[in-house]
Amino acid sequence: MANLTIDGKEYEFPDGTSLFEACREARGEALPHFCYHPDLSVAGVCRLCQVEVEGMPKLTIACNTTVREGMVVHTRSEKVKRASQQILEMHLINHPVDCPICDQAGECGLQDQYMEYGLYESNVTQATKVLKTKAKVIGPQVILDQERCVLCSRCVRFCNEVTGTGELGIFNRGDRALIDVAPGVELDNNYSLNTVDICPVGALTSRDFRFVKRVWMLKSADGVCPGCATGCNVRIDHEGGRVYRLKPRRNPEVNGSWMCDRGRMTYKALHDERRLTEPRRGDQEARWAELQDELATALDKGALGLVVVSPHQTLEEMYLAVRLAGSPGKVVSGPADAGMREGDSLLLDADRTPNRAGLGVVGISELAGKDLAAAVAGARGTVLVLGGDPAADAAVAAALRQHGRVIYLGTHGNETAGCSSLVLPGAAWAEKQGIFVNRQGRWQAFQQAIARPGNAREDWRILAEAVGRQDEEAALGSLKSVRAALAAAVLADPSIDLNKLPEHGFAPGGEN
Amino acid sequence: MSFEGLPQGSGAKEKSFKESLYLWEVLRGLGVTLRHLVRNIFHTGEMPTMQYPEEKRVYSDRFRGRHRLTKREDGSPRCVACQMCSTVCPADCITIVAAEHPDVEIEKYPDSFEIDLLRCVYCGLCEEACPCDAIRMDTGIYEIAADSREKFVVDKDFLLNNTTDGTR
Ligand code: SF4
Ligand code: SF4
Ligand code: SF4
Ligand code: SF4
Ligand code: FES
Repeated sequence: MANLTIDGKEYEFPDGTSLFEACREARGEALPHFCYHPDLSVAGVCRLCQVEVEGMPKLTIACNTTVREGMVVHTRSEKVKRASQQILEMHLINHPVDCPICDQAGECGLQDQYMEYGLYESNVTQATKVLKTKAKVIGPQVILDQERCVLCSRCVRFCNEVTGTGELGIFNRGDRALIDVAPGVELDNNYSLNTVDICPVGALTSRDFRFVKRVWMLKSADGVCPGCATGCNVRIDHEGGRVYRLKPRRNPEVNGSWMCDRGRMTYKALHDERRLTEPRRGDQEARWAELQDELATALDKGALGLVVVSPHQTLEEMYLAVRLAGSPGKVVSGPADAGMREGDSLLLDADRTPNRAGLGVVGISELAGKDLAAAVAGARGTVLVLGGDPAADAAVAAALRQHGRVIYLGTHGNETAGCSSLVLPGAAWAEKQGIFVNRQGRWQAFQQAIARPGNAREDWRILAEAVGRQDEEAALGSLKSVRAALAAAVLADPSIDLNKLPEHGFAPGGEN
Repeated sequence: MSFEGLPQGSGAKEKSFKESLYLWEVLRGLGVTLRHLVRNIFHTGEMPTMQYPEEKRVYSDRFRGRHRLTKREDGSPRCVACQMCSTVCPADCITIVAAEHPDVEIEKYPDSFEIDLLRCVYCGLCEEACPCDAIRMDTGIYEIAADSREKFVVDKDFLLNNTTDGTR
């Protein structure tokens, strides 16, 4: 432990703590910085995080200093302020200041820090600036503007240290120095868009998001990526009922500061034309009100033959499916190999479903394609398919068609919807709250970002209503009550409040 | 303005017989009208009424009329679709869809640019916010009429050709 004084107050930090992090905690906000990143090595190149340490002849950069016993640090002195101003001025010498056409405007480190520490008066003219390449496509996802770059080297360190692919480098010297890919090389890996996130300015921007929205128009919700079993924590940026992009939320236990490019594009399916918005009976559009009685009969305990739950559903929905079916034998998942592809060693899991571990939590077993087909064929009564697309498997599709009385509660018009006599539009991941259990067994809650399209309804509500019709005592009128019942049913310590899961997720029986 | 002498709430004083007839007050009002009529007949030049539309009021050069989009030398819009104007607009009446410009020097341009003139409050904040002098309200046009709500939503082409020599 080291005791030190920061801005006149005493603090204690474990040995080895970076002075940058110590100052962040002491000040309640980070020091101005470009190159420091908690999940990358220290470069110390931007010189913006300078602080005054008593006894040292010159200002020192906090990111490359560790706390020492008895240190006396000043982060807000005149000397420090002047240094920040001058360094920012230096970073701006050759900057094009084309904020009006820059996608980063509004979330730009240069803009924000200049507003706070800047000099506001320019000593350079546009004519003397060093010109570099603008709008250079350097990969399938990323576009580079060399003039905007502040040479913090975060993107280079990311490609060297995290992905190990090393596509980016700094070329030339002095004010001619620039970021680029070597000739013939592309920034083409499944994590390339993370360079866009960590680039503190608009030098690296996303081609997918390019010019689509100004960032200050977006609202955000905390989500969990539905792309694979890793369950990266994401921020869902949306506006007017549309999701525009996903950004990683830092969770050192799961994804660090990163997420994969594939996961980032999962939002597109929310708005594709196959999205189900109205209930359908055969080829006819139907209204929920007309279906009330039909659903009550079909989903009655006696009439329900089998429930097929997809690992894309939330934990709450899985639990309600088990409650609805009544006996464990009547609720299954499958085909077991659906959604299995190739993963990588970084984040992307071979299992491309977000909640397969949740099936285990509530005790739903997975069947292989042919066993699922047999189960469907043998089901006496209605088959309820909850999400996913089991009919992508030909044998299951044939069995569902043969069976005839199939209800599909899902989000997209797929094979399974085509095999069903009744198709009900449910809520997709960004349109509801819920819990996913990731591959580590970590329970992660996510918020609703956008409204459901058309007449789509929350799956848990439909299931809870059906359970309520058979069990007057159930009292599952709110998601809160469903979560309480879920906790009571599956957790060793049922007093855990699933509405307030810890920020980094919750691992029953494990470390949190 | 003084409220003295006006009836105060429920404590209003009783009306006299003459007042309760109102006749005297009506005649007094007619007298005022008659006085103005006679004056207007003999001093037509001092009449405040204008013979619009034959005659039009002269507004200050700073008058904020209908918007226009200014052009570059080649006739394309100066606007770079930065959306500062639509962000600052208190009436939320500017809708811009940005697109990639083939010329990398320009980079970004408005694919569509619409203003809903019915919602606009002519505050001028848009022209003040614009970093490129791309939107101006110096046309002096204030006679804005159409026969459907949709026609008040003017598009990029309209705004680009909305020149200062309108009706002024
Ligand atoms: S491109 Fe961005 S992240 Fe990379 S060095 Fe330049 S400013 Fe830093
Ligand atoms: S690794 Fe998996 S959970 Fe993470 S972003 Fe990619 S698809 Fe989503
Ligand atoms: S004048 Fe005011 S209300 Fe009208 S478009 Fe401009 S900013 Fe909006
Ligand atoms: S502020 Fe000016 S440049 Fe920006 S979008 Fe509006 S008109 Fe175009
Ligand atoms: S953040 Fe410390 S030198 Fe860049």
